[in-house]
Amino acid sequence: MGIIEVGRVCIKTAGREAGKKCVVVRVIDKNFVEITGPKKLTGVRRRRVNVKHLLPLPLKIDIPEGAGDDEVLEALKTTELYKKLVKAE
Amino acid sequence: MRIIELNVRGTRRRLKKKRVAVRTPGGRVVYHYKPKRHSPARCAICKKPLNATPTGPKSFMKKLPKSKKRPNRPYGGNLCPTCFRKVILKKALKEGEALLEGDVSDVESV
Repeated sequence: MGIIEVGRVCIKTAGREAGKKCVVVRVIDKNFVEITGPKKLTGVRRRRVNVKHLLPLPLKIDIPEGAGDDEVLEALKTTELYKKLVKAE
Repeated sequence: MRIIELNVRGTRRRLKKKRVAVRTPGGRVVYHYKPKRHSPARCAICKKPLNATPTGPKSFMKKLPKSKKRPNRPYGGNLCPTCFRKVILKKALKEGEALLEGDVSDVESV
């Protein structure tokens, strides 16, 4: 469904994790998706969020639906973004 | 011209509190000292009073834990939710643009 799909990298725009990046892991329905930071990397917990609270970025990583945090982390390591995130910390 | 007695016992009292002229039963007009008022925390952009931020004397504020003094989010206790959303979106969009300019290899057309 549209831009927000499994593997899409997003920025959270609401709540305590606002401004942090996350990856969509599973699409629950037209309003909700499950995301993860992963927490080790960006601090975003694995949780269900409203799509309205996400801003999609022009970057998609290759992960299966419902991927675990470790899988997501491995997939992220190949991208430019990962270096930036590590540098930021 | 009416004469108002200062009704002062110690200078600190005079400095800290608000003075109000009151006519006493004896016919004199004296100052009574009201407790200081405390202004609520306001949004730095739109100046509206913030929710979930208590106001009170410093002694009261000091006793509260940090989590009860502001919402737990970036700019919590500084910006109102509406202004906060605008600021965050602006920042996020900028980052998105930067990503487009930087690494083109794994960027898809959106």
